[in-house]
Amino acid sequence: MASATGVYHTTYRRDFALRHTRAEWVRLVLLVAGAIALPYYLQDNAFWLQAATRFLVFGIAVVGLMVLTGYTGLVSLATGAFLGVGAFTTANVASRYGWPVPVGILVATLVAAVIGAFFGLPALRLKGLYLAITTLAAQYILLYTFRNWDYLTDGAGNIAARAPCIGGESGNKLCTGGTRLDSDFAWYWIALVCLVVVLMAVRNLFRTGLGRALIAIRDQDIAAEVIGVHVGRYKILAFAIACGLAGFSGALNAHWRNVVTWERYEINESFLAVAMIIIGGLGSVAGAVYGAGFMIWLESFIQRMGQEFRTTFEDLGLDVPALQLFAFGAVIVLFLLLEPRGLARLWQRTKDYFRLWPFRY
Amino acid sequence: MHRLARKLVLFMSLALLAVACGGGDDGGGEGAQQGESKDPIVVGAIFDLSGATSDVGTPYAQGIQDYVKFKNGKGGLDGHQIDLKFSDFAYKVPNAEQLYSQYVQEGAVAFMGWGTADTEALRTRVTSDEIPFMSASYAETLVNPEETPFNFFPGVSYSNQLRAVLKYIGDQEKGAQAKVAFFHHDSPFGTSPLEDGQKYIEENKLKIEMVAVKMPTGAQDFNPQLQNEGAGAKYVVIQNVPSPSAKLAQNVRASGSAATIVCMNWCGDEIFVKGAGDAAEGVIAVMPFAPPTAGAQGLEDLIAFTGGQANLEAKTLRYVQGWFTMATMAEGITKALAAADGGEITGVEVKAALETVKDFETGGVSKPITFSETNHAGLQSTPLYVVKGGKFEKLVDEIEI
Repeated sequence: MASATGVYHTTYRRDFALRHTRAEWVRLVLLVAGAIALPYYLQDNAFWLQAATRFLVFGIAVVGLMVLTGYTGLVSLATGAFLGVGAFTTANVASRYGWPVPVGILVATLVAAVIGAFFGLPALRLKGLYLAITTLAAQYILLYTFRNWDYLTDGAGNIAARAPCIGGESGNKLCTGGTRLDSDFAWYWIALVCLVVVLMAVRNLFRTGLGRALIAIRDQDIAAEVIGVHVGRYKILAFAIACGLAGFSGALNAHWRNVVTWERYEINESFLAVAMIIIGGLGSVAGAVYGAGFMIWLESFIQRMGQEFRTTFEDLGLDVPALQLFAFGAVIVLFLLLEPRGLARLWQRTKDYFRLWPFRY
Repeated sequence: MHRLARKLVLFMSLALLAVACGGGDDGGGEGAQQGESKDPIVVGAIFDLSGATSDVGTPYAQGIQDYVKFKNGKGGLDGHQIDLKFSDFAYKVPNAEQLYSQYVQEGAVAFMGWGTADTEALRTRVTSDEIPFMSASYAETLVNPEETPFNFFPGVSYSNQLRAVLKYIGDQEKGAQAKVAFFHHDSPFGTSPLEDGQKYIEENKLKIEMVAVKMPTGAQDFNPQLQNEGAGAKYVVIQNVPSPSAKLAQNVRASGSAATIVCMNWCGDEIFVKGAGDAAEGVIAVMPFAPPTAGAQGLEDLIAFTGGQANLEAKTLRYVQGWFTMATMAEGITKALAAADGGEITGVEVKAALETVKDFETGGVSKPITFSETNHAGLQSTPLYVVKGGKFEKLVDEIEI
């Protein structure tokens, strides 16, 4: 990645740093300030605050998918199902069996990672489209399990996942003597911290040997095998990481929304996640975040536009879901035609424009 | 030219952005009439107009919206106009949650929900936000205020419907053994009444063998199920929405079976009759709300509003159902306003007022609707209708369970 002219490093440590120039630091500070100020600005706007929190929670799963598809080159259409694995696991562990919520979320992440590794076994033999089909099978098998395995929901068809309770008795449903974290405002902060931790972890993953091995598998898996990268093991590991992060995201969502139903984990969630990483730009962690933010913003924006225009165009206002689907497809097509490297590339070009002005390159 | 075009596009997108993000309070819905001095009562609603259950969701939604227009035209609730804030959520749970949060923040004191997915997903939220939630889902789990204190529905619970059907079958068979194949939607909506139905058979020592048969979503025909689990059934009871139920009815007749088909409330309507064609003849339907052809006195307002009997019939039974569901909620709100005596009302007051609704008359469209502190299901008994010549005729006025 090109940096500004005149920037040179005298130590390896400096060379490895994530931020090299002052401009980069300034942008980081602005971003952090914006992320902290946003919930206060949206406090009276429940619609957008919920969209923002949803972006943060779902973003974790999208970052996981980016590790798998963007960096390791293995297409996965099972994100929706692994969100569900995390959600049902934590609902059972934390709500039904009364363990603390963080334990439930941790167990959910691990269970999702293990199941993800299992469904990643076909990757040892298949590539590309065929692997995508096996992940599609994983999606449907897991969804069928959610719908029909009565143990998961104790026969009721859905299961409650209690909101975390700070300070009160942990097993108590009513959270007497403590504060219940069930508002969108509180969950914005929880999700923000989790997303930042995940982002830093994944970003650092790709500065290690393991990360480079995954990239090598994407680019030339036969050559990677030849130079000593254990392709099979690392592919399973990539599946485990991606599905574990999806499980983490699903578990957070369960404790935020408090009711876990199978309807949330259908194939359209998987397609949405894949669309997000394509639009964001395959191959960069920032791209995952941009893609997730953009798609969730777009969905909410159309919903809002539909409501605003209902008084003038009555029929249009009620066709909002159709418009959302139309926009979903149109955006994917436009991005693939005009900027196949996604929003991350667009942002990079914007930064370069200002950095290199008045020169073109 | 290139640069100018780019600047224009940037400006317009920023402008659109500002409009979208800025406009918070007056998003969507029926606005208050000019000159009204009393504050409008905000009611939130989500409809399924383009999702999995949109065939019944669309007329239901129209029923609710038209009732609001009708009531507002007559001066509203005790002088307050109803501000109905609604959107299509396409049976997607995240949309339902986002719209619910938005409308509650915009001041909704009551919420009109729809099906099992959104009702279950919002169940804990409505309890902690204290907003009464009236659903079109009649699951038994929503009846008990100890578990779901803010959920209501003006209908007969699925369990009670199945009990009524089993009682009717028991009476018809007069002690003879009969096999009943209970075909249901592959979801909690479908399996909801099964356990209670089995218990009813055992408690009343009915000579009925009830077999539960799953109707897979998206199946084109149900012959495999009819030949296996459903073989030899004298009665086929259907707990599903009209379109797959119509297919099942056609399969039953095509297989030469003379089994009596009984539709539960979400199956029996004009969409079913149209879809099943000749197979609909003789189908018995559980209908807590009377169809437009019933000639009930309570339908006069609807006929006047829609501009004639033919128009009302085109809107189907679900329109009537939506109209009277909204009317029930409006009754609760009116009572809350009366109790508050000019003061502000919140969801808590509306919920308490709904629990005092006793024998709310619908002019013969349904039995009088009653809620109480121990029961949030509005109706306890239902008539049975039968399809004759493509139209519904009343078969039994009331089944006592």
